[in-house]
Amino acid sequence: MVGLSLGEKNFIKGGIAQDIRTDGRKRLTYRPIFVETGVIPQASGSARVKMGATDVIASVKAELGKPNASHPDKGKVSIYVDCSPTAEPTFEGRGGEELSMELSTALQRCLLGGKSGAGAGIDLSSLSIVEGKVCWDIYIDGLVVSSDGNLLDALGAAIKAALSNTAVPKVQVAANASLDEQPEVDVSDEEFQQFDTTGVPVIITLTKVGRHYIVDATAEEESQMSSAVSISVNRQGRICGLTKRGGAGLDPSIILDMISVAKHVSEQLINKLDSEIAAAEACEEE
Amino acid sequence: MAGKISNTPATYTPSPTSQDKKRPSIFTGSDWVRPDGRGLHQCRPAFLRTSAVNSASGSAYAEFGNAKVIVSVFGPRESKKAMMYSDIGRLNCNVSYTSFATPIRGQASDSKDLSSMLHKALEGAIILESFPKTTVDVFALVLESGGSDLPVVISCASLALADAGIMLYDMVASVSMSCLGKNLVIDPVSEEESYQDGGLMITCMPSRNEVTQMTVTGEWSTPKIHEAMQLCLDACSKLGKIMRSCLKETVSATQE
Repeated sequence: MVGLSLGEKNFIKGGIAQDIRTDGRKRLTYRPIFVETGVIPQASGSARVKMGATDVIASVKAELGKPNASHPDKGKVSIYVDCSPTAEPTFEGRGGEELSMELSTALQRCLLGGKSGAGAGIDLSSLSIVEGKVCWDIYIDGLVVSSDGNLLDALGAAIKAALSNTAVPKVQVAANASLDEQPEVDVSDEEFQQFDTTGVPVIITLTKVGRHYIVDATAEEESQMSSAVSISVNRQGRICGLTKRGGAGLDPSIILDMISVAKHVSEQLINKLDSEIAAAEACEEE
Repeated sequence: MAGKISNTPATYTPSPTSQDKKRPSIFTGSDWVRPDGRGLHQCRPAFLRTSAVNSASGSAYAEFGNAKVIVSVFGPRESKKAMMYSDIGRLNCNVSYTSFATPIRGQASDSKDLSSMLHKALEGAIILESFPKTTVDVFALVLESGGSDLPVVISCASLALADAGIMLYDMVASVSMSCLGKNLVIDPVSEEESYQDGGLMITCMPSRNEVTQMTVTGEWSTPKIHEAMQLCLDACSKLGKIMRSCLKETVSATQE
């Protein structure tokens, strides 16, 4: 928990109202984003994202599995987030569990699209190997190393970076398999495939403090929020998901206004992330 | 809670009069028919009753088509000793499914997730300052899952809170919407939900015109979100009226 005096609270609120926040940023400016890829050798792909004092790691693991009976031509993707008590003492026990679950559901909602798979960041049909028999199961795990607000945006960015770092091995299927048996598959050690991550949206959280809303709030600013809306936007400027946090109600027109602001901010964020990811990949190859 | 009525039927009686949420469909040219024959922008008939459970401070039963939900509210009662002092009240929500609620036994959605969604939808409407140091428990049980379960649970829970005499800023009404291809369908049933390209759920306080919770999944363009929000808010305000009249009925029945 953030303990703030009355003066500090007023300072934060007053600054936001005047468009100069405590760290000198404007309302719609992000903190510098630092991306590092390939940080976990055991995973198929991984990335670490730092935004100020917020530090998160995302890892992607691909395993062979069986597709769901309801969607035989699709693979499966699951997202879990772990908030370790090493980041903050309040994450110990139930507090961390609740936050982990909230972040996991928000990420699933923002990145995995509708039930039919439309609008998903990852094309689930590309994960299918043999229809109804074998597919890739993608496990995305997020870890909060250090928390200073705006965890959802950071995790979304880390997952995007980790997915573009992911290499899934090529699979050869034995041609003579009969219809009822499980087909034999041969996982290649040398040849890998990259994911197409152009469709993965970014998440933008607009935190409402007083009458204004800000992006990339720090923990101190988050403690003063009345409500926050997280919107995921893809490259085409379409909304892929939305969730609201915080108890206070919002006027419907404010939500629509937030959506248009988020769309505007997303263009800059996507370009920024893309160049950071490309730089990180280049750095890793050297 | 003094307002307990024994003569109110807590079981289902068909009430065609509550079906007053009809709106003409704008996709009249479409030959596609919804599984239950409703118009695209027509909600299921709502049946609501308060005081379904006698031992609770307040309770409500809701039936929207096949979706049947019962919600009991207990408290405000003293918070557990382990909890820290709090000068505002606490809200504890729990949603569970009966094992026979779904076509395949025990295959219900994640109740933890639903519980936290219910909590987020309600906390903005309750005047928590009115019961410091105490906890209000909201327990919801889905008797039969019939699609749009969460909106039904939220609306029913708000009715139960009002029945328990918990101070509210306003009733909370909730409606969801599915995007199927080019069509927007309101209040989807399970079958439509499993095929949806996108979903939108709005929880709002109709008379204050405030959205307490909103979730969107799937890919949406801005004009489509505008349209869906408008339709949902419209349906919410109509549902709010039905909920109000249900509460009024209960009160006038006690006075007689």
